[in-house]
Amino acid sequence: MAGTVQSTNPNNGLSNWQSADTPFSLQLLQLMPDNVRAVYSNKGFPPALVEEMAGYCMFGSVIRNLADEPVSYDVADWRAITADGVRHPLRTKTEWLKIWQSQGVDFGWSILPAAQTLEVGDWGQGFTTVKLPHGTRFDLDYSWRQHGKTFHAILKGLQCAPEQLPVPPRKP
Amino acid sequence: MAPVKPPRPAPDFSLPDVDGKIHTLSDYSGKVVMLNFWATWCPPCRRELPSMEQLYLDLKGKPFQVLACDQQEDGDTVFAFTGQLDPAPSFPVLLDSKRAVSKAYGVPGLPTTFLIDKIGQIAYRAVGGREFGHPAIRALIEELMAA
Repeated sequence: MAGTVQSTNPNNGLSNWQSADTPFSLQLLQLMPDNVRAVYSNKGFPPALVEEMAGYCMFGSVIRNLADEPVSYDVADWRAITADGVRHPLRTKTEWLKIWQSQGVDFGWSILPAAQTLEVGDWGQGFTTVKLPHGTRFDLDYSWRQHGKTFHAILKGLQCAPEQLPVPPRKP
Repeated sequence: MAPVKPPRPAPDFSLPDVDGKIHTLSDYSGKVVMLNFWATWCPPCRRELPSMEQLYLDLKGKPFQVLACDQQEDGDTVFAFTGQLDPAPSFPVLLDSKRAVSKAYGVPGLPTTFLIDKIGQIAYRAVGGREFGHPAIRALIEELMAA
């Protein structure tokens, strides 16, 4: 039975969510907007584009083929489901590349490949992005294909990183 | 590493290493080539470099070559990074500054590693970091060298 394992990094307070018991494994790690700004500013992206990207809900993501056969996925099929039931498409690497290329910049390696087939033992990483306000809670309906069939699973209780982490109260 | 079925010709290329020396893939014909795509900012790329170096040292004198193809970084950045490694890579570290070679190979993400056989066919591919000291990988290379 598929499930979600959530944990929090005690060093920075950021959460991550990991699929459990699925042959296509997905892990999402909260990414602070300031981290996004740092990554893309460092790569020479124009400030307005950096701010647009920092306005997205972004996660570091790790995918793994744990099956004994190839699995394929397409991020365009995945949906973030918010509490009001709205299913939000993710912005894919393909879509970001079009925007970046029009502005003469490229850091395609940073975004999770939009679609690919992972052979046995293959894994990958990259950012996943969805246009939701910081702090939004949602479930992620993600899918993959394996031996000709499409499978769905839900990562439950995800939350976009806040704009700023709360400052812990000062000890008296 | 997964077999590439059917094996396909490895696109030839010429790239400079961090010292400016040009390396051409076809010059390594007759050797098994491990072609690795990586970048200094990529954590799993950094993690797998030591085991790649150890493999290279272990197979010294055999028909085996490692080429590590850095993506879209300048020579100073790569040199500064590899200089911190202990041991530093003794195999050529190439600069694919415009991503031309990774595009030709259809590299989906970093790191990605190909094994190219002695006649220039891509035989195996691994997407994501690996421990190159693993006996299964060593066995694949031995098999390709013996073919």
